[in-house]
Amino acid sequence: MSTIVPTGVDKVSTADEEVKTSVGGRRFSFDVRESGIYVAFLLIVALFFFLTDGALLEPQNISNIVVQNSYILILAIGMILIIIAGHIDLSVGSVVAVSGAIAAVLMVNHNVPWPLALAITLACGALIGAWQGFWVAYFGIPAFIVTLAGMLVFRALTLMVLGNQGIGPFPDPVRTLSNGFTPSYLGNVGLGSLGGADLFSILLAAVAVLGIVVTQWRTRAARISYQQQVDVLPMFLAKILGASAAVVFVVIQLARFKNLPWVLILLAVLVLGYSMLTGRSVFGRHIYAVGGNRQAAQLSGVDVRRVTFWIFVNMGILASLAGVIFAGRLNQAGPTAGNSFELDAIAAAFIGGAAVQGGVGKVVGAIVGGLIMGVINNGMSLIGAPSEKVMFVKGAVLLAAVAFDVWAKRRGESASN
Amino acid sequence: MKRAEVPALAAHGLEKKYGQVRALRGVSFEAYPGEVTALVGDNGAGKSTLVKCLAGAIRPDCGRIMVKGRPVSMTGPVQATKHGIETVYQDLALASDLDAAANVFLGREIRRLRVLHDHKEMRRRTAASFAELGVGLVQDMRVPVSSFSGGQRQSVAIARAAMWAKHVIIMDEPTAALGVIQTEKVLQLVDRVRSRGLAVVFISHNLPQVIEVADRIEVMRLGARTARFRRGEVDVERLIAAVSGAYSNEADVPNGEVTA
Repeated sequence: MSTIVPTGVDKVSTADEEVKTSVGGRRFSFDVRESGIYVAFLLIVALFFFLTDGALLEPQNISNIVVQNSYILILAIGMILIIIAGHIDLSVGSVVAVSGAIAAVLMVNHNVPWPLALAITLACGALIGAWQGFWVAYFGIPAFIVTLAGMLVFRALTLMVLGNQGIGPFPDPVRTLSNGFTPSYLGNVGLGSLGGADLFSILLAAVAVLGIVVTQWRTRAARISYQQQVDVLPMFLAKILGASAAVVFVVIQLARFKNLPWVLILLAVLVLGYSMLTGRSVFGRHIYAVGGNRQAAQLSGVDVRRVTFWIFVNMGILASLAGVIFAGRLNQAGPTAGNSFELDAIAAAFIGGAAVQGGVGKVVGAIVGGLIMGVINNGMSLIGAPSEKVMFVKGAVLLAAVAFDVWAKRRGESASN
Repeated sequence: MKRAEVPALAAHGLEKKYGQVRALRGVSFEAYPGEVTALVGDNGAGKSTLVKCLAGAIRPDCGRIMVKGRPVSMTGPVQATKHGIETVYQDLALASDLDAAANVFLGREIRRLRVLHDHKEMRRRTAASFAELGVGLVQDMRVPVSSFSGGQRQSVAIARAAMWAKHVIIMDEPTAALGVIQTEKVLQLVDRVRSRGLAVVFISHNLPQVIEVADRIEVMRLGARTARFRRGEVDVERLIAAVSGAYSNEADVPNGEVTA
């Protein structure tokens, strides 16, 4: 059973014919399923780059895209965990609104110091998540219903707290978190014709690139040691080079403008943390197991209800974080804040490769999915398209992304039979 | 049928009622170490109810279950695994989006720093165990099991059970959904599991297959054990007779009324 035949860099066993063919066919389509999203993102960016005569990638516009989409991306991180587990959360938009209202009442009306007020707001988010998690996990009501109810209830609570008006303005630190930029710690460096750019930001980009190269290289080495199929070396290098170039480009553009938005740093930390959670922690693995085969997870001793409960608590915390950031950006908490954010977050997760039936998805995928929507929004408004056209295109992209995923999956399955 | 050896798994006088239906009417059952014990019976004979009791998935109304001669009380499948009983469920209890090693260690992960999983070590142990059992999937340790064929998935499920079981493996129709070659591979795997000294409980509708693989056969009918055979004592015709109620060699045969 251990005959290994080298075929280029790829090695497959020939002892078990069915393994070779099924997995070989699957691997290809699997790759399409996973990297399709990045290719699509690149194409969309390229399209709008040409349509806007380059305005899309101007320093200020990149900064705008990050800041304007930060709260959706934060929601998408929580949403992808819920969708991986096979659930859905329709209430996040209303939780964003009620959290903004709570933060505003504490910070503005009662002058509570902002760190304490932020902590209380996040705790309220956790409680909201625990409330919904209880009904879904321990009472067995489908998440669709529980969070649909939540959507109404928390919007109603927002209106009760705020009446029909907004509360503001927020303290400066909160506005800085939402809208502000990192200070220039190390001064500027000249970049020739590009002008001056912040040195600290560029050093951060270098660290990020190093991180990408090291982790990708280690993953590849591990796959080779297990005789797994990997990209040929030039392809692998091209991918790493592309990713690094994208990071460096974005950071340099931002460093030429007003440095890195704080929300970008926050997002980077969240993405790293949650990628670690989904990829390397036992809890993360259990989320995938629950979504992939709930019964199997249960029979294997996974506490399915506990997992479900905690991903809703997590969603509540992230939604209230997004709520504070959104309120801080507008500098007031309004009764209509977060309207239809849940749909953007859900769309981001599905465009980013989450499977409709659960069990599949990645945090980075949801982020890229959210960015695709963000770039479409931003690019179309740059070329002056009316909002109904933007909505139309976003709807079409969502359907196309999910249709592609289903098609790729079906093809993968037929290849393994 | 008496012998000195203690059964790895034994049930005595199990009763289970669902409303007015008596699914189990005092059924008894034994499985010995290093043997394949087949459990056969027609649909509705109570096989699955018995298996669920033995696997800890449901609790019998009365009667005793003993592991290595010691009475045990099981409130869930996790308790059963703690008593050294592993079950391979008919509907393939694998998480399809996780790879083989993740499935083998699901719910029992090797941890680092308490919250992280040590996937490298889990994969290494899984590979070692698969190699020992002759499951040829070592090269596919990073592919989700959804890309495996039915036979390969069944092999993963059985190998997982074999890795964790201390005393007993229960297999509910392990070959029902498989083709000829895949079935043969799974049966070879069953053979290797038996030769490690585990008691294998094998549920199947395929009577020729049962006669081929089983060291002992226990026949259930109407919620009770109606016949027992040792290897070579029975042919397909007699087994059919036993399953249909025309033959029995047990004292506690129910009188045939169905309270349904």
